[in-house]
Amino acid sequence: MEFTKILTRFENIPNSRALATYEKHGGYEAAKKALTQTREEIITLVKDSGLRGRGGAGFPTGLKWSFVPKTADTVYLLCNNDEGEPGTFKDRYILELSPHMLIEGMIIAAHAIGAKKAYIYTRCEFYDEIRWMNEAIAEAYQAGYLGKNLFGTNVQVDLDHYIGAGAYICGEETGLISSLEGKKGQPKLKPPFPAISGYLGKPTIVNNTETLAAVPWIITHGAAAHRAMGTEKSPGTKLFCVSGPVKKPGVFERPLGYPLKKLIFEDAGGMLDGKQLKAVIPGGASAPVLLPAEIETLTLDYEAIAAAGSMLGSGAVMVIPHDQPMMELLRILVNFFHHESCGQCTPCREGTGWLASVVQGVEEKTATPEDVEKLYQIAVHMEGRTICALSDAAAMPTKAITRKFADELKRSIRGI
Amino acid sequence: MADTVTFTLNDKNVTVPKGWTVMQAAKQAQVDIPHFCWHPGLSVAGVCRFCMVHVQGARKLEIACNLQATEGMIVRTDTPEVKEAHKWGLEFHLINHPLDCPVCDQAGECGLQDFYMQVGKYKSQMTRPKVLKPKAVDLGPRLILDTERCILCSRCVRFEEEVTKTGALGIFDRGDRAIIGTYGEEKIEHNYQENLVDVCPVGAFTSKKFRFKQRVWFLQEKSSICPGCSTGCKIKVHARTDRRTYYRVKPEIDETVNGFWMCDKGRDTIAHLNREHRLPQSQMRIDGKKQTVPTAQALESLRRAIETAGAEETALLVSAHYTVEEYEAFFHYFCDQLGVTKVYQWRAETEDRDSFDGILLRGDENPNTAGLRAAMRRVKGRTVPIKNEIATCVSKKPKVVVALCPEVPFTSPWFQEDLKQLAGISHVSLWTCRYEATEVAGITSWIPMKGFAEKTGHFLNYEGAKRELQEAFPSATAEALSVVEAVQQMAAIATITTETATL
Amino acid sequence: METFARDLREKIQSELTRYETPRSAILPILHLIQDHCEWIQPMHVEGLEREFGLSRVHVQEVATFYSMYRLEPCKPFRILFCDNLVCAMMGAEGVMDKIRSHMASFPTDKCPFSLQGVPCLGVCDGAPAMLVNKERHLRVNRDNVDAILASYK
Repeated sequence: MEFTKILTRFENIPNSRALATYEKHGGYEAAKKALTQTREEIITLVKDSGLRGRGGAGFPTGLKWSFVPKTADTVYLLCNNDEGEPGTFKDRYILELSPHMLIEGMIIAAHAIGAKKAYIYTRCEFYDEIRWMNEAIAEAYQAGYLGKNLFGTNVQVDLDHYIGAGAYICGEETGLISSLEGKKGQPKLKPPFPAISGYLGKPTIVNNTETLAAVPWIITHGAAAHRAMGTEKSPGTKLFCVSGPVKKPGVFERPLGYPLKKLIFEDAGGMLDGKQLKAVIPGGASAPVLLPAEIETLTLDYEAIAAAGSMLGSGAVMVIPHDQPMMELLRILVNFFHHESCGQCTPCREGTGWLASVVQGVEEKTATPEDVEKLYQIAVHMEGRTICALSDAAAMPTKAITRKFADELKRSIRGI
Repeated sequence: MADTVTFTLNDKNVTVPKGWTVMQAAKQAQVDIPHFCWHPGLSVAGVCRFCMVHVQGARKLEIACNLQATEGMIVRTDTPEVKEAHKWGLEFHLINHPLDCPVCDQAGECGLQDFYMQVGKYKSQMTRPKVLKPKAVDLGPRLILDTERCILCSRCVRFEEEVTKTGALGIFDRGDRAIIGTYGEEKIEHNYQENLVDVCPVGAFTSKKFRFKQRVWFLQEKSSICPGCSTGCKIKVHARTDRRTYYRVKPEIDETVNGFWMCDKGRDTIAHLNREHRLPQSQMRIDGKKQTVPTAQALESLRRAIETAGAEETALLVSAHYTVEEYEAFFHYFCDQLGVTKVYQWRAETEDRDSFDGILLRGDENPNTAGLRAAMRRVKGRTVPIKNEIATCVSKKPKVVVALCPEVPFTSPWFQEDLKQLAGISHVSLWTCRYEATEVAGITSWIPMKGFAEKTGHFLNYEGAKRELQEAFPSATAEALSVVEAVQQMAAIATITTETATL
Repeated sequence: METFARDLREKIQSELTRYETPRSAILPILHLIQDHCEWIQPMHVEGLEREFGLSRVHVQEVATFYSMYRLEPCKPFRILFCDNLVCAMMGAEGVMDKIRSHMASFPTDKCPFSLQGVPCLGVCDGAPAMLVNKERHLRVNRDNVDAILASYK
């Protein structure tokens, strides 16, 4: 499978984070080029490239940008660098390798949507990465890549870095906006959508780090080059995070449509000695678990994984070994979502607590085998009922585990 | 027309202004969509997720409160999917709710309870321990908060943000640990506390005054107008007619004047209506001794006193607590028929009449200043400045004074002191609803008056808007009269007297 | 007495004008206070209202919503150990047990560490992972954890 590395092209290049290194490899040329183009030209190009949001939902990026009213006077661009989906560590990797790639992507995106002010929102646990990013922003200002009259045009882009404080929900785009407004990170009702009314009620575009970092390459190489990789509906490359008991866990940039088994068993070196594959979570903690039989020929693109009953999500591939008790896995999952539910919507607030409480009953030896079905039913009724997708994110894996591993769960309740 | 939209709600065509939500349209069309967090007087939160409706062509159920009605939209509130969502929505709401209805004041008017009876009546699936939170939190002079009963609908938080603009309430922590409250031990002290009890769809906020006093299903409620100030909020008075006891006042929706709210002072305007505070029957001081007399006797004595002294030696002292109709009858009889010309206003000596708290409460604590002013203009043929005229009245040394006393005690704390000024006048007839503070030397007779909730008529509020009173409840004392009735009775006596004289 | 030391005051002041609205500065200011004062005390929340006009309700809502704010006195070294899916599969619980025994080796009240399980730290390729204050440690296991902790004195 032929492909060019876009996001990880600075791998193995020494001192890759430095502006000088980035410039030496053509850095900020794309921004320079893009700023001579009209907003429409850029949006058309990004639409044509088929780039889809890499945060999890896979929404077409160019289309999202086009929703910003052309007449809006104040527009904001926000980079979602909150990376809280368990199993995901790809955006962190971009900051480690080339924070300037993100800055350049943001300059281009800001120009395309007419934003003079942009923010990167990073989770606070990324202490090192925050420092690297801050250094890169300072360098970019120093070099005149940020601020007023960029590249001799009248385009202005200011960039600031905002740090979260420990809340998974801030990875939801409107939760992120609330947080940036200095509030609890509670998602906002839609409509209105952020592109119409977002940060402080102004049109706002929120894009994932990986999405924005891919933009400069697309400007330089064109839509066709991007479309030449991946599948028809999921073009381009994607960062896949492989974790769990494999020999070489890590971030792998691969074209979309790449075979999952190849990723696990070749690129990530296969299972650790003595471990066999029991199941795979293909797209972060909210993605339903898949059985080995279900991944035989499965490819890593939005459509194929959806067809298999799961989702590509953030591209976090978590490998589950044969000796992993599924009840324990379920406990961790539901506790996580219970801990992170923002508490606004009743079905999520109460549903996540109920799931966690029922699972707690297993530990307390008060659970009955019927509780497996109860968990499933609770999950079913949490789905599609709330402002944001956290409730769904808790429901989907619960449904999958309670269905696919019902017998095992019942056995663990009986204590055998 | 482009400024309305027509859509289908349960097979019914509904036309509403463009921009309305399905929830607003359903209210207008009287289609019931159960909800907890939506409140017509507050912004849309969309968090209880209970007002789910089915929209033809939509991928999933939508919430009616945030769904704009669009032309041709087909909405149903009764599909099996909607009913299932309600059943589970209720189940989710009840997971951590204590279900202590037997000891909860809200029982009988509780959203949760109502919907349980409507869609539920099944055994809960929830068998796990509930999350424990603070109970019986003292949140202010009028408020008790039970955070376990709270369903986190955020109505109270929005009320504090949007109506009182104090932002005193917040939701702290997150998920199912979230708790409504003020910062630290802070109390809510403003004059709109009990609206929090009203907006709370469950029994999380309860009123200290009403707490454990009465089961709501024993109460009858009737519309009235608050007599506490010149705003004239539309209210509902809640009483037990079998006990002739008034229990509480709640605001009634009135878009033009008070919207959905009323102030706490207004809620205290019923206490004086209860029997223990009322003048039960007419009384007269006969030979220095106070005696209960038939009203006719007291009125006849007044009539004779006026005849003896002459109309020019008679003065009327009038507070602004009575209806336009009462003033009309009063002045018609005393001024037009008997020829009395000395008419004086009776109100607080010092008042900040034009002050306004920015929400509802006005400095003019009389419900009908405008009505009295108009009536006096008619009688006097000129406009008189609004002020307390009791001193002027006394200085004219009248021999007879008929005084229409202020009705609401707490807005007229000056009442008793003022009364003392009348000590030297030979015949003083007090027409009064209240009993307390009327025991002053020099008063000749006491005539029991009906309270605002016991008579028909109207007030004119600060901007001259008509505020209709209705006879909501029979008077707590059978003898009480409206001014109109008292004047009629007096006129009838007068007629008899005249006839007797002719014979 | 002023609630905030002079250098902290100045930093707070500059955060207040850094964003489009002062309210946006609440999260960064709470981070600053925590960095300077170890934990966020009621007097800080009240001081922010009194001295800088930030609503104490808003501040307290934020302080209690986000899990990385410390609202109680804390130990000098705070271990945040990821106990989410991947770290759990890679043995987090066993390592946390080891940390607990390490902590138990100190006389009561003399232990400089606190231990808390936290959601995914976003470094699953280095599982099990933990933070000690702001330092990240990857591939922490029962064999190396004592040495790591020994470096915090």
